[in-house]
Amino acid sequence: MRSLVFFLRLFSWFSLRHIGKHWFQAMLVLFGIALGAAVFTSVRLSVHASLRSFTSSMNHIAGRTEKVLARPGGFLPESLVSAIINHPSVRNASPMLSGYVQHFGADKEPFLLIGIDPILDRPFRSWQIAKGKPRKVGMWLDLLKEPYTLILGGALARQYGYAPGEKIKLEHSRQTVDFRIVGVLAPENLALAEGGRLALTDIATFQEFTGLYGKIDRIDLRLQPEQTAENFQNIVSTLPPGVIMSSPSERRESGQAMIRAYQLNLSILSFASLFVGMFLVYSLVALNAASRRHELAILRSTGASARLLFLIFLAQGTVFGLAGWLLAIPISSFLIKYLLHGVSQTISTLFVRVTVEQLSLNSWEIFLSFMVTIFISVLAAYLPAREAMQVSPKEALSIAEHSEQADKPTLRLAGLGIFFIVLVWPLSKLPGYAGVPLPGYIATLLLFTGFAMLSPWILEQLGKALAPKLRRLGGMPAYLAGRYIRGSGNRTAISVGALITAVALFVSLVIMIHSFRQTVQLWAYQTVSGDLFATTKMGEVNQFRYPLSPEVIRTLTTLDAPVDLVPNRRYFLNYGKFPYEFELLDVVTFLRYGSYVWLKGPSETAIHRLISGDGVIVSEVFSNRTGLTVGDLFRAQIETSLVELPILGVVRDYRTQGGVVFYAMPHFKRRFHDPKWGGVRFFLRNRNQNLDAAVVSLRREIIEKCGDQLGMISGKELRQSILKVFDETFAITTILLFIAFVIAALGITTTLAVLVLERTSQLNTLYAVGASFGQIRRMIFWESILMVIAGETAGFLCGLILSYLLVFVINRQSFGWTFLYGLDLKALVFSLPLIILTALMAALPAIRLVFRQPPAMLLRER
Amino acid sequence: MRVSEKKTVIETKALTRIYSLGDSEVIGISSINLEIAARELVVLKGNSGSGKSTLLSLLSGLDRPTSGELKVAGHDLIKAPEEQLTRFRREVVGMVFQNFNLLPTLSVLENVCLPALLAGGWPEKIEPKAIDLLQWLGLGDRMAHQPAQLSGGEMQRTAIARALINDPAIILADEPTGNLDSRNGQLVIQLLAELHRTRERTVIIATHSNLADAFATMEICLKDGMITDTTCEV
Amino acid sequence: MKAPFLQQKSHKRKTLIFGILLLSLGTVLQLFAADDSGYFSVTGPCNLEFPKDHGSHSGYRTEWWYYTGNVDSENGNRFGFQLTFFRSQLSPAGASRHWPKPASQWRTQHIYLAHAAISDLAGGRHLHAEESSRGALGLAGVALNETRITTVHLKNWYAKIGPENQHLKAATDRFAFDLELIPTKKPILHGEAGYSRKGRASESASCYYSFTRLKTRGSLTLNGKTFAVEGLSWMDHEFSTAPLEPGIVGWDWFSLILSDRTELMVYVLRQKDGTINPASSGTFVDPDGNSRHLTKEEFRVLVLDSWKSPNSEALYPVRWRLSVFPLSMELSIVSNLADQELQTTESTGVTYWEGSVSITGTANDHRIEGQGYVELTGYAKAFDAPM
Repeated sequence: MRSLVFFLRLFSWFSLRHIGKHWFQAMLVLFGIALGAAVFTSVRLSVHASLRSFTSSMNHIAGRTEKVLARPGGFLPESLVSAIINHPSVRNASPMLSGYVQHFGADKEPFLLIGIDPILDRPFRSWQIAKGKPRKVGMWLDLLKEPYTLILGGALARQYGYAPGEKIKLEHSRQTVDFRIVGVLAPENLALAEGGRLALTDIATFQEFTGLYGKIDRIDLRLQPEQTAENFQNIVSTLPPGVIMSSPSERRESGQAMIRAYQLNLSILSFASLFVGMFLVYSLVALNAASRRHELAILRSTGASARLLFLIFLAQGTVFGLAGWLLAIPISSFLIKYLLHGVSQTISTLFVRVTVEQLSLNSWEIFLSFMVTIFISVLAAYLPAREAMQVSPKEALSIAEHSEQADKPTLRLAGLGIFFIVLVWPLSKLPGYAGVPLPGYIATLLLFTGFAMLSPWILEQLGKALAPKLRRLGGMPAYLAGRYIRGSGNRTAISVGALITAVALFVSLVIMIHSFRQTVQLWAYQTVSGDLFATTKMGEVNQFRYPLSPEVIRTLTTLDAPVDLVPNRRYFLNYGKFPYEFELLDVVTFLRYGSYVWLKGPSETAIHRLISGDGVIVSEVFSNRTGLTVGDLFRAQIETSLVELPILGVVRDYRTQGGVVFYAMPHFKRRFHDPKWGGVRFFLRNRNQNLDAAVVSLRREIIEKCGDQLGMISGKELRQSILKVFDETFAITTILLFIAFVIAALGITTTLAVLVLERTSQLNTLYAVGASFGQIRRMIFWESILMVIAGETAGFLCGLILSYLLVFVINRQSFGWTFLYGLDLKALVFSLPLIILTALMAALPAIRLVFRQPPAMLLRER
Repeated sequence: MRVSEKKTVIETKALTRIYSLGDSEVIGISSINLEIAARELVVLKGNSGSGKSTLLSLLSGLDRPTSGELKVAGHDLIKAPEEQLTRFRREVVGMVFQNFNLLPTLSVLENVCLPALLAGGWPEKIEPKAIDLLQWLGLGDRMAHQPAQLSGGEMQRTAIARALINDPAIILADEPTGNLDSRNGQLVIQLLAELHRTRERTVIIATHSNLADAFATMEICLKDGMITDTTCEV
Repeated sequence: MKAPFLQQKSHKRKTLIFGILLLSLGTVLQLFAADDSGYFSVTGPCNLEFPKDHGSHSGYRTEWWYYTGNVDSENGNRFGFQLTFFRSQLSPAGASRHWPKPASQWRTQHIYLAHAAISDLAGGRHLHAEESSRGALGLAGVALNETRITTVHLKNWYAKIGPENQHLKAATDRFAFDLELIPTKKPILHGEAGYSRKGRASESASCYYSFTRLKTRGSLTLNGKTFAVEGLSWMDHEFSTAPLEPGIVGWDWFSLILSDRTELMVYVLRQKDGTINPASSGTFVDPDGNSRHLTKEEFRVLVLDSWKSPNSEALYPVRWRLSVFPLSMELSIVSNLADQELQTTESTGVTYWEGSVSITGTANDHRIEGQGYVELTGYAKAFDAPM
């Protein structure tokens, strides 16, 4: 206890007072680590909020359901309910229909309408009508008694300002109808799903509203307590073809797995800022260790043990971590406001619909961010602390011999670095696990470490090669700078390592985003070709489960405008736990205007066989995730048909909710069943007219003839919106990148400050032997130029390798897709000099540090 | 060289310290044989580079010899492990440096207390003792000051107080007057002599000035790292 | 009469459950009292014809088919059983004109509820279960087929009423029964040819008939053990629209099958002030199946003993003396098991007592004995069923 008190006292005397004196640097470092910690924490908390919202939503909707009956991509006949409900193994059964609808004329943000039989559903889900003014028992009975009544979720009632008894106009693909609001759901259980953006209605009303007469989405089951495997099999065997019994946890788990993988990816990206923050802590602690070497010697000579000094420096790291983490709290609370919405938006667009109402503080996430921040800071302080430990007490005697500070073997370190870099190659060949590109991330870490280890040697070589030339170029200051860099050892190298990391991240992300965008653009223009797309209203959000009516199809096929139609039907299915779309389309007409971006098997015969319905083509993501490729057999239950077809080719596709399998629609109808039209795309036959104007008039004609029944979007708008989603997704990445940069710039400032302060006596000597202030400042400036150039060159190289990893390894492992690699030369040519400039700007405060105190003062102190 | 009949506190045999500077070697001291009895006031003389500081750093346990034997106050400093050396520095010797070596972030009082605190003492016991010492050294009104606010003489007196806080048997002073004007230099030497006389410490002063000659009970002359029998020529 | 759901004073109820659903002459029905118009009401002769009137009477708000009976197993164990189907109409007949066209198959005006219970008199246990469903898509309903059999069913529970016999089936995870019932007398029409008054106003009435003596044989399963059983049962079928008259808090209803091949049905409508409503009445059936209406003044019921339910804390009478003056009948009635209380949280939400009883006594100085069922409503407080 006494020794702890003494330790804290000494730490405060020796370290805190010193930090207090140099508060500006300390604040920079603190800000850096705080930013890093804040980004890490808020990114994780944001994703966690989405994950939680998704999970609770799924759980609330599943309620006490044990098994679910459904038909992939289709509906169940409602007649199945009474058959199932009387099955001896079944305890309870509840039919359910659900779909997204929107409030007419409001914000167009769809919400979930759930259609249930309130009586049969009672054993499954709990909900209550919130207490209100017109309070009577059995209000829910109105759902059965009166058509077009609903109970509104709390969030919706608040958002639109509705009270029980009022009418709300709802819009669905088929019609727009006034619903009477029977009540508002009390905020508990089922009412918490979808963040309260839902409404309950009777199953009869749901069918009448949507036109799904005779159909239900699914039947939820609760089984008799003593359920044997035989009884279970018994249920399955009585099911009509195509009906599958699954467990409600399956859909939840596949959604959770996607969000978790995304969380890991974002965590790693945000960890980069923490990583750069670590360099910052390192450089400041190292500065303290170096510039106070003499004081350390005095401490040692007065009886402090080496271990004590080690602990003092480790404690410095801890204090930076602790203070940084505390400072991160206000920064996080600011950041999270932006991220929470952005992340849930991204997850909704990319993976599964989530509605995040508010942030949930998760103690594990907070603990994790605390531990990670502290760990990083302590780790950063470790090396300087080791160095402090090595200080010999006799240095207190000022015997000017630093002979024992032997030069570190730069060549050996470089060799190890190269070994690490070489390891990247085999690592990149390993497969990822469950959407988590672990080998890819390890490869990235090795790459950074390898380059950081290489940097002392690079600097040495740079100094050696350049010193004479620099003398001609920049005179004596440049020459001295070159000489200094050459011999500066590991300390400079570490700062250069930080710069390498930041530049490499920048370069690789620029390349990746560019390649990604280029490829997505290509895909959008070829595969998402078409001048106008029409589906039922809210078709996408309802997974195209409501086909176009025969009247609409008749109208569309007899339009006046000279157009070709490519009808399609998209089924949202699962292959094991992996979600994918099975897309049927008129391949012949499609290929006349558009094409696929082939990855494998783009042969004439493959296309010919696709057209003649001999097989399917699958997306790269589908192929990577399922392991199925050209020549394998694709098998799936689609509505009532069991589809078995060979895979003819693999194409690029960037739909985010899993993979895609394409097949020719006419052949599907012939070989299996009539899939109905889920949507149509129109191609204008005359390509030489004003296409925009022609699309507008086509649209007008369709509205005139079909009324307001269809959701339509022009091909141009659709492609733009795809790219917009893309850009929004990367907005988060860009922000993280920018923050990493700010931290790297802070790093350069501290590093150079370290270099200046550390050599105060050297600089004084230079001054004493006749160098002018200007010359010395120029020398420092040249040093920073050399460091920045070395860091940037190595960072560029590292970035090229990293971009390869990102495009072909990490993306493949986490999303299943790769892109056409493309160097964004324009962006790089513009930005790299800009980075140099920024880095040099960051050097200015350090240069101003030189002789901030008059040399005579410094002489007196020593 | 006189051999004392009193109890020996320092004993060296063939003590040698060689520094390697890159490829070349520099001899610090070479084959020093020495016996110093308790309660001597030794003046260690020699030119710059004669090996005075090297010898002091070895005697104080700040550095280890290249070869030879070294016993100080019963401690075999050749064989002592690092922890024992640290304890030795805390408890047996007190150091006074030419450049004072006060820690700039600590106040005068804190600087003085530091070695005792490092040795694990109770702050409430140490502080009165440090205050006594400082008052005795005429620094009673300077205790809360930072080293940067002190004059050279005051800094050296603080350093002497620090050297005394753990009641060491031996005080080692390395050019204690080197950075002081002659009046302050005189004062410091008188203080060290008083320590020897009234507090019965072994005091070793390495210097090339003659200020301490009058108080010396023993004089050692170093030249090129070796003890010379001839008179010291400084 | 037989609908236990009086008096569920529900103003305190927090949840709106289901529970409340409905039924009958009880307060629950007053939920819908606002749109009373449009329902048919029972105001005069019922003109019952069979098998047509075994079926459901759409347009009347409430209807029930009520079976109770006492049976013995081969090894001498005695059981009481109950199987009841309720139909509750949500809206008057004309309301369907305003339905969307076409209307969903799920759209219906009828909700069916059912209660099944077994009193294991040897084991001293009373087990009950309940079911509910809307009357759509074959989940529940009433139908007359070409072989003149009327089926009343809810999920896989049913009662089949044929010209020669009737068939009951109910299965739960704890008990089940499958019984064949053969009527030994033609249907008995209560009141004035089936028009049975339940209050002073002419529309405070129901149409009500019974099969008073059904020879019963079949199987009964209790905790996995199946017994072959034989005995006698009683069947009631009643429909109405009217709520109970204000002031009536509950009723005691007796259906007694006596050893001299006669049967007796009596109901006592209890009023808030402790008096008996004048509409309380009964029916006596002689061995040849001729019935005699009994007015309030012609009989008297004295409560001799009570039992307090640990579940609902209601105090139920369990022993009575029933005197029928014109018949010189003096009967002592005792419940065969004190706890035959039903708490129907899942369907009606009503708590009542429906139980097997034994009878001893004299009629015209002849010793008689018998077995029967008693229904006691309005003794339990309204309870809050958790949703």
